[in-house]
Amino acid sequence: MAVVVGVDVGSLCTKTVILDGDGKILSYDIMRSGHYYKGAAKESIENALKSAGLKKGDISYTLGTGYGRGAVAEADAEVTEITCHARGAARLFPEVHTVIDIGGQDSKVIGIGENSRVVNFVMNDKCAAGTGRFLEVMALALSVDISEMGDLFFASKEKVDVSSMCTVFAESEVISLFARGHKKADIAAGIAHAIARRIMGMVGQVGLREKVVMSGGVAKNAGVVRAIEERIETSLLVPYEPQIVGAFGAAIIASERMSTTIG
Amino acid sequence: MSKIAEVTSDPYAYVAGLKERKNKKIIGCFPMHVPEEIVHAADLIPVVIWRGNEPVTWGHAHVPPYDCGITRSFVDDAVRGKLSFMDGFVFHIRQCLQAGEFPFIMERHFKPAYQKVLYLPAIYPGDAVRDFALKELESFKTSLEDFTGEKISDDSLKKSIEIYNKNRSLMERVYEIRRAKPGILKAKEVMQIVWSSMLMPKEDHNELLTELVKGMEEKSVKAQKERIKVIPVGCLCQTLQFDILDLIEDLGMIVPDDDLYIGSRYFANPVNLNGNPLNALADRYLTKTPLCPTKGVWDIHWGDEAIKKMRDNDAKGIISVRVKYCPPHTCYYPDFRSKMAEKGVPEVMIEMEHEIISLEGVKTRLQSFAETIGGV
Repeated sequence: MAVVVGVDVGSLCTKTVILDGDGKILSYDIMRSGHYYKGAAKESIENALKSAGLKKGDISYTLGTGYGRGAVAEADAEVTEITCHARGAARLFPEVHTVIDIGGQDSKVIGIGENSRVVNFVMNDKCAAGTGRFLEVMALALSVDISEMGDLFFASKEKVDVSSMCTVFAESEVISLFARGHKKADIAAGIAHAIARRIMGMVGQVGLREKVVMSGGVAKNAGVVRAIEERIETSLLVPYEPQIVGAFGAAIIASERMSTTIG
Repeated sequence: MSKIAEVTSDPYAYVAGLKERKNKKIIGCFPMHVPEEIVHAADLIPVVIWRGNEPVTWGHAHVPPYDCGITRSFVDDAVRGKLSFMDGFVFHIRQCLQAGEFPFIMERHFKPAYQKVLYLPAIYPGDAVRDFALKELESFKTSLEDFTGEKISDDSLKKSIEIYNKNRSLMERVYEIRRAKPGILKAKEVMQIVWSSMLMPKEDHNELLTELVKGMEEKSVKAQKERIKVIPVGCLCQTLQFDILDLIEDLGMIVPDDDLYIGSRYFANPVNLNGNPLNALADRYLTKTPLCPTKGVWDIHWGDEAIKKMRDNDAKGIISVRVKYCPPHTCYYPDFRSKMAEKGVPEVMIEMEHEIISLEGVKTRLQSFAETIGGV
């Protein structure tokens, strides 16, 4: 059975998606990237193959993407995560024109035109403000598990502003808010709104065109999703597993390249 | 190219050595609009001031961290004594807010033997402005005469203009050959050629260029049809980091032309030598230097000029390179970007900072841009 593989080596997590010849997802894997991207890519591919009951020899094309795309030794080619997120989101939601992707260490807003092609994009890359890593640090400061951050947002009763978006300064600010007696839920909501403000600035640069898809690990945080929706005044389409959209897009491009080669 | 690479790899050592070899005084001209020809005609060596590669240290005491790279780097170099081989400076302070700080800092901490503040008009609505510009150039000429004790004759100024015009035409020829034979030189090498012109005496540079042009004319190169042509635009006053130019090419793109100061903007349009040479220099400054955010021109849009350059070169997109904390470029950029969107021209912006550059982030931006215009 000939299959194609998309591997998205992100700064925090490595994701793999395996597609069959009809573009159907056979399996996927998500694991922490750690410090050895090459090994993470290899392990993630092996995990996904095992889940699908396949072996390495079944792979006809592998495409690497993400921050560590150059480290995927198994890859036949590499494409940026911007192109892959656009392609993956457009396959899942054909009516999409804007993708908001918040990953482990950077965030992007991508404008999509005809044929699922990227027409415009902005990304922040100077620091981890407003990204998955930022949320991890904030969860630590709040002494909660990151998976609880979304629920805390909805339990908020009082508006608290987290003004700083620098991860280090925001952590200090959270401690100060605790000292002033604010509740965890209110601070968690303040953090989500701070991320939304930052994203709004990037959306403004690309131009908001509906429908809007949110991808990346932070899309699993329902509080951040709601805060962004409130800020951009439109609903976000969130895939069932938002973290694998880039790897899915990479697998789609791998599939297209296979078709071109065979054709 | 080896001589050019040698000059640009250590401009401090080169210019210091130049002073000794030629036994002439060195005048540092701050980019981008000082008419170097007048300095040359005074039998001095004009050198365009550059951004160094070292982190700013003592300079932080004199300029804020939110000044651009060349401002901070230049002040840092000056107060650390790294520019002690320079005998004087010329600053055109109307081109940006930060340039206005230099004369005071230099006067107080460097005490140059010669310093001139040029106050060229930023807009050109008519004759009154032309007269003002001319008077400024006359005052510049007089200040140099006072410094050297020698008069600058019209003939010597015309001769200097001729030498500079020859340099412009030779550089234009380098660009013509590159357009005809894309890939004959790496983008980094072309930037080194222009930068070396800013550092070397023009007579010496003309000799090098004559040899280089001959070699380029004779050389054949493999067609680069699979590469995507892009035009870098912006990066006012200072060299674009070579790593960025290398990245552009490593990612499958090719640079057939540019709209950069240390690029085509430096040598664009010769000085018209008919009549009074100072008039001719004023005329070039006012009407013939390429459109730029440091000059107020409202009937032509910089974006339109960049798009024309892109189309003339059959390029597929524009890479804007903006120096962080560059006020003129930052103010103009939203309008530039809107023009790109209005005309449907693919454009990406790369921000460059003196000490910090996240090359991985730049790579992702450039690679995504290449994928976008390449149809991935």
